[in-house]
Amino acid sequence: MLSFFSSDVFRTVVGALNTGFLQTLRLFAVTLAGAIPLGLLISFGSMSRWAPLGFLCAEGQHPVLRAIWGFRPVSALCRLLVWVIRGTPLMLQLIIIFFIPGMILDSGSPWPGGESGRFLAAAIAFILNYACYFSEIYRGGIQSVPLGQQEAGLVLGMTRSQIFFKVTLLQMVKRIIPPMSNEIITLVKDTSIARIISLQEVIWAGYAFMKGSHGYSGLWWPLLFTGIYYLIFNGALTLFFGWVERRLDYFR
Amino acid sequence: MPILDVHNIEKHFGATRVLDDISFSLEAGQALAIIGSSGSGKTTLLRCLNFLEKPNGGTIAVRDKVIFDAADPATQRPADIREKRLHFGLVFQNFNLFPQYTALQNVTLSLHLRDKEDAAGRRAGKDRHKAAIDQRGLELLAQMGLSDRAGHYPHQLSGGQQQRVAIARALALQPDVLCFDEPTSALDPELTGEVLKVIRGLAQQHTTMIIVTHEMAFARDVADQVIFMDGGVIVEQGPAQQVIEHPAQERTRQFLSRYAEN
Ligand SMILES: Nc1ncnc2c1ncn2[C@@H]1O[C@H](COP(=O)(O)OP(=O)(O)OP(=O)(O)O)[C@@H](O)[C@H]1O
Ligand SMILES: [Mg+2]
Repeated sequence: MLSFFSSDVFRTVVGALNTGFLQTLRLFAVTLAGAIPLGLLISFGSMSRWAPLGFLCAEGQHPVLRAIWGFRPVSALCRLLVWVIRGTPLMLQLIIIFFIPGMILDSGSPWPGGESGRFLAAAIAFILNYACYFSEIYRGGIQSVPLGQQEAGLVLGMTRSQIFFKVTLLQMVKRIIPPMSNEIITLVKDTSIARIISLQEVIWAGYAFMKGSHGYSGLWWPLLFTGIYYLIFNGALTLFFGWVERRLDYFR
Repeated sequence: MPILDVHNIEKHFGATRVLDDISFSLEAGQALAIIGSSGSGKTTLLRCLNFLEKPNGGTIAVRDKVIFDAADPATQRPADIREKRLHFGLVFQNFNLFPQYTALQNVTLSLHLRDKEDAAGRRAGKDRHKAAIDQRGLELLAQMGLSDRAGHYPHQLSGGQQQRVAIARALALQPDVLCFDEPTSALDPELTGEVLKVIRGLAQQHTTMIIVTHEMAFARDVADQVIFMDGGVIVEQGPAQQVIEHPAQERTRQFLSRYAEN
């Protein structure tokens, strides 16, 4: 048994899986770095009250007219985006983003060739997808902070931004940590969907040993072995989020 | 010279008129109690004074200076409202303390933020300022009988203690007029006493106050003036003793008799 762990084949497989998992982590990190702020933008957008024709609203108007004049384009657009993205599979979005531009553009596919092009397309699809999920979590978090908190800040002469950063933000963060940690752990596993465009992440690397890679073929255990990478990484994330939750336990 | 002059305040939400022709004035150092049944517009009036709602008509003057005139947009510039709010303090029915801050931090947050804005230009003496602000916060908490609770978070305090922290927080900015919106309505009966006692103490120190309350005996004993509101209008106003014990209006009498029964 011990000799297996020091065999050439084991070392080769682990090396290949490490390389694959590095790509997994890269996609994970880039997605988070993009989706966390983009999600905030989308959540503000969907809460936007901007109604360019709002001045035409009047008391006692027919409800249909009121709805037309009160139309909020930014909010409507953001909600439409969230509905479409959350209502369709990430795999389909990835396929569309990666393949469709090349089919309809005269200049051919806009993505660079090889792994870097696949990574770029995957990153864009993942960021967009996760930003939409995050935006709904943020929106719930922001709206769950009682209005009285804002009013208390206003009465004390605080500015809107002082209220956001000094009063609302931490309460919102505390409330969104549990749903965010769920989404983020799902993201770790979802990165494997990028295999559909042959991104060379860890599952791709494990599967390769079945078909033939590094001079080996018909090996089934490397694929099972990839599960250990996910387990360890998600275990670490779970510990991390548990720590953050405990850090915010001092208030209710 | 009255410290506060409210003239013909009017407020509607859509088609419903919630405040109509509200006028009163308040002398410095006096306490005004506002009584009235549910939905009569008491909260809305306090919210108008604190610029949380914008009246549709009327004027508000502090120390003879008009700070709001519904007919004059120059008095309604959003940029000035923040400063104008500081004439008033507001203690909410449900406290609205900031849960992530200790009792002391709740009291001093606004002072620290103001100090930071002032100090943006001149950095020197900042630590001394901070210490002085915390000292002031501790004094206010002591005045509320909460010296031993300065480091507690709101969820570690009883309702009565939370409301006293909220009062200290509102006092920190030294408003000209301190408003209370039913400060004891969210409290268990055994906790109302400690909050009323603190407000009584403020009255004895001649803090200018407007107190919306359902505690009639408290209004009679602590307030100098009483206003009875019904359906968005002032039905009766006058010296506290007189309005509560010998009301002139039939509606006031009916309202008060409901309290006499139980
Ligand atoms: N934002 C709002 N939109 C529409 N109507 C409102 C709004 N705020 C208050 N009202 C209405 O205005 C009226 C007066 O409300 P207000 O809260 O000022 O009464 P109140 O005297 O404080 O009552 P209570 O004793 O129950 O606190 C009520 O009929 C209420 O429904
Ligand atoms: Mg009220």
